[in-house]
Amino acid sequence: MADAGSKAGSDNPAPARALIRGGDILILLLAAGLVGASFGAFWGPRSEGHQVLVTVDRNQTTELSLHQDGTFEIEGRIGVSTIMVDGGRVRFMDSPCPGRYCVHSGWLRLSGEVAACLPNGVVVEVLGGEREFDAINL
Amino acid sequence: MSTTEQITTISQPGAGSGRDDRLVAGYAALAIAIHILEAAFPSPLPGVKPGLANVITLIVYLRHGLRLALWVAAMRVLVGSLLVGTFLSPTFLLSATGAVAALSALALTGAVGGRRVGPVGLSVVSSLAHMSGQITVAYLLFIPHPALLKLVPVLLSAALLFGTVSGLIAASVLRILGRRAERQP
Repeated sequence: MADAGSKAGSDNPAPARALIRGGDILILLLAAGLVGASFGAFWGPRSEGHQVLVTVDRNQTTELSLHQDGTFEIEGRIGVSTIMVDGGRVRFMDSPCPGRYCVHSGWLRLSGEVAACLPNGVVVEVLGGEREFDAINL
Repeated sequence: MSTTEQITTISQPGAGSGRDDRLVAGYAALAIAIHILEAAFPSPLPGVKPGLANVITLIVYLRHGLRLALWVAAMRVLVGSLLVGTFLSPTFLLSATGAVAALSALALTGAVGGRRVGPVGLSVVSSLAHMSGQITVAYLLFIPHPALLKLVPVLLSAALLFGTVSGLIAASVLRILGRRAERQP
């Protein structure tokens, strides 16, 4: 292996003139792809959630499992918000607020996703990943 | 009788080993000097530094082969840590891991790529291997926290950038060394 190394450098002075060779460009491209992929892998989408934390008026909290389907009616400040859990995801179905931003947030599936109906004081947050996994068992 | 002659005479058990020893000593001294100069510079991010001492390892590898490069890198890690004061500390372990990973990648790429791969490619591969090895050890031994993994893309980007720069420097130096060798055969 030592011989291969010294040959690459000294026995072949002509290509050594070029600062960058063909193989270098290939390696640079592969390396750039790898670094790009690392951004996707480590900064990419979060893992799927397992529970959903429903907070009403900042202090009343309920945890639901994302794996038990059902429709839940939550009493908020100004009325009843309807939340639906279906196949590992959760969404607001209805809420007595003017904008219905919470409903338009759509399905939440990934750990850390949040939808809130501020007028009604209802916040839905997906929990999950490994940290929260053993904290609750529904 | 000069000191150099004495050293040469003493360390001459086999043919050529005295010359190799002096080469290793000279290159290692250069690498250690760069290593210490770099340690004195402030770093924008902990764990990120240009790693210009690896330019020396790369030049030794391409001009004299893997064996001498291993020696130079080992001397640099050992003596460098003694002089900076990090010998046997976590920094030393990280430094040694990085050197081992970088040299393994260097040897592998050199063996597979041969003449098609030049200093830049070798430098990028060994720089990324250096960083990956360090991150792995840091995560497994020192900071087993997921937050460290969030740093991986940033650290790898830095490794890619500095690896390319180091490779270009090594390529330029090798080109100049090659020219001088031609002029005085």
